[in-house]
Amino acid sequence: MIGVADPKPDRDTVFDVTDFLHREALALDERRFRDWLDHLTDDVAYVVPLRVTREGQAGWEVSPTSRIFDDDKQTLTLRIERLETDFAWAEQPPSRTRHYVTNVVADPGEREDELLVSSNCLIYRSRGDSIEPNLYSIARKDTVRRVDGRLLLARRYAVLDQSVINGHNLSILF
Amino acid sequence: MATDPVSPGAEAALESIRDGIAKGRFPAHVFNDRQIFDIERQRVFSKAWCFLAHESEIPDRGDYVTRYIADNNLIVARAESGDIHASLNMCRHRGNMMCKSEMGNASHFRCSYHGWVYKNSGELVGVPYMKEGYEGRIDKRDWGLVKVRTQTYAGLVFGTIDPDAPPLEEYLGDFRFYLDLYLKQGSSGSEVHGPPDHWVTDTDWKIAAENFAGDGYHTPVAHQFGFNLGYFASSGSTHSQGWAASIPGKGHGIGLGHTPGFPPFAGFPEELADEMRRSLSPEQVEVFSQTRTAVGTVFPNLSFLMQPFSIVPGEAGVRFVTMRLYHPIGPGRTEMYSWCLVPKDASEQYKREAYRAYTLAFAQAGTFEQDDLENWARVTRSAGSTMARDIEFPYVMGMDSVRDPDFPGPGHVVTPYVNDSNFRNLWSRWSDYMTGQV
Repeated sequence: MIGVADPKPDRDTVFDVTDFLHREALALDERRFRDWLDHLTDDVAYVVPLRVTREGQAGWEVSPTSRIFDDDKQTLTLRIERLETDFAWAEQPPSRTRHYVTNVVADPGEREDELLVSSNCLIYRSRGDSIEPNLYSIARKDTVRRVDGRLLLARRYAVLDQSVINGHNLSILF
Repeated sequence: MATDPVSPGAEAALESIRDGIAKGRFPAHVFNDRQIFDIERQRVFSKAWCFLAHESEIPDRGDYVTRYIADNNLIVARAESGDIHASLNMCRHRGNMMCKSEMGNASHFRCSYHGWVYKNSGELVGVPYMKEGYEGRIDKRDWGLVKVRTQTYAGLVFGTIDPDAPPLEEYLGDFRFYLDLYLKQGSSGSEVHGPPDHWVTDTDWKIAAENFAGDGYHTPVAHQFGFNLGYFASSGSTHSQGWAASIPGKGHGIGLGHTPGFPPFAGFPEELADEMRRSLSPEQVEVFSQTRTAVGTVFPNLSFLMQPFSIVPGEAGVRFVTMRLYHPIGPGRTEMYSWCLVPKDASEQYKREAYRAYTLAFAQAGTFEQDDLENWARVTRSAGSTMARDIEFPYVMGMDSVRDPDFPGPGHVVTPYVNDSNFRNLWSRWSDYMTGQV
């Protein structure tokens, strides 16, 4: 399915990738964080860069150096271990999140066993008794790899559309 | 300057708050109060030296960033001469914003409304229909962008909108001794790693300013997970050790955490530690070499934290520095800016590691940052409630502690690090401004 001459992945592949993204999002929304880690390759790169408001002609508007998340499997595991302690105050009581994943476009990746997958993700986050949710609109560029017949996330590059972030902390995952 | 209509009742209340601080009491409501916020804008932020930018954010001619003093949006630009200028981001013709980006590079700004053109230093150089329309009634020299006075210290650019403010050097006073730990990491100094994290939080700026003025007390509880996962060389029982240093009459303060047996300059690359031993004063070397955590606030709203930190709990790690600005945008509401400062002379690898430690620990998604903001948002919420109008907090820790006679650094220096003396000094200075003494 991956690596065929046709540059566009076939229908089954697109279906599998979309299903993978939905299941990965479900693990986050159901707070099955250990399951979520199982959706990642051991060499995963998890990057949320910083966006800056600039003129249209500027060389970049997503900072090449500044990062909100710059994580690998070890640090993501640490974030999960933290949530498993009794002292992760930022998530006590926990955020209720809903990841809405749309506009999934899959293209061949750099390696035969990889796909480059773009998606839009809108996260609704509700906290405590607040009736004002945080909404985060995100453009994601993922690398999804097939390992032993399973799809796994090898890279996530998730760019927030806002340059000034609402919400007093980012204790959720994208 | 704007008028300052504070009612006699409010003046009396502010005087009584000022008297309370000397007795170790400070009211809860000031952390979320519309009237206090309005008075702060007029009497604190329109008078103090406010942090604008780090010079390394605008290294080249034409580079600019936009920042605020109170609710005034300013363009902070490096002019063609290489000098740094701050100007009100408002066209003198009809008031349009000149510059709509947070950062960029431009030798000139052209207003998108009627086309007046200014140099990035603020001088008016172009007026459409000068001859036909104005018939000589405009002298360009009179209509430049409104200038804001700036001065710098070790890369920090400050601005003030008070023409009578004392020089920055005097304003910072002896706090410069401690600031050098963050700003002079090696003989070439420090630089920002990139643009700042920038977010809005329902937290009063004063809660953050106080916490960073040396709140070693919160660490073992608010960041308990860090001890739990083995992040800290110190344990909860030794965490109180160290010093609280404040500069009387200035409001600035710093907490210096120390762990027994802490290796000198631990976390700095060896070459950089050697450079610091050479370039800093012997007193600074003595203080900084034994400092594990340094967390300080420049009155009113600029803070720093340096901490050795490892991505892998328990390993030696690197030093990261966060510099943050708490820009008040409403009662109990703040725009947070957070930069990571790295030593200019360090290797690219060290800078990268220090920045990664910063993102994991204290950037806006940082594991430590998250818990602080959660607590502060709840403090803010409580402080705005009606019963909180009559509630005071105790600020009595270390009321009678005397200056540590052996400590080589300046200011009022007490031990242990768990102490309210920095906060009494901070709120006492705030009260000086709020009661119009400054």
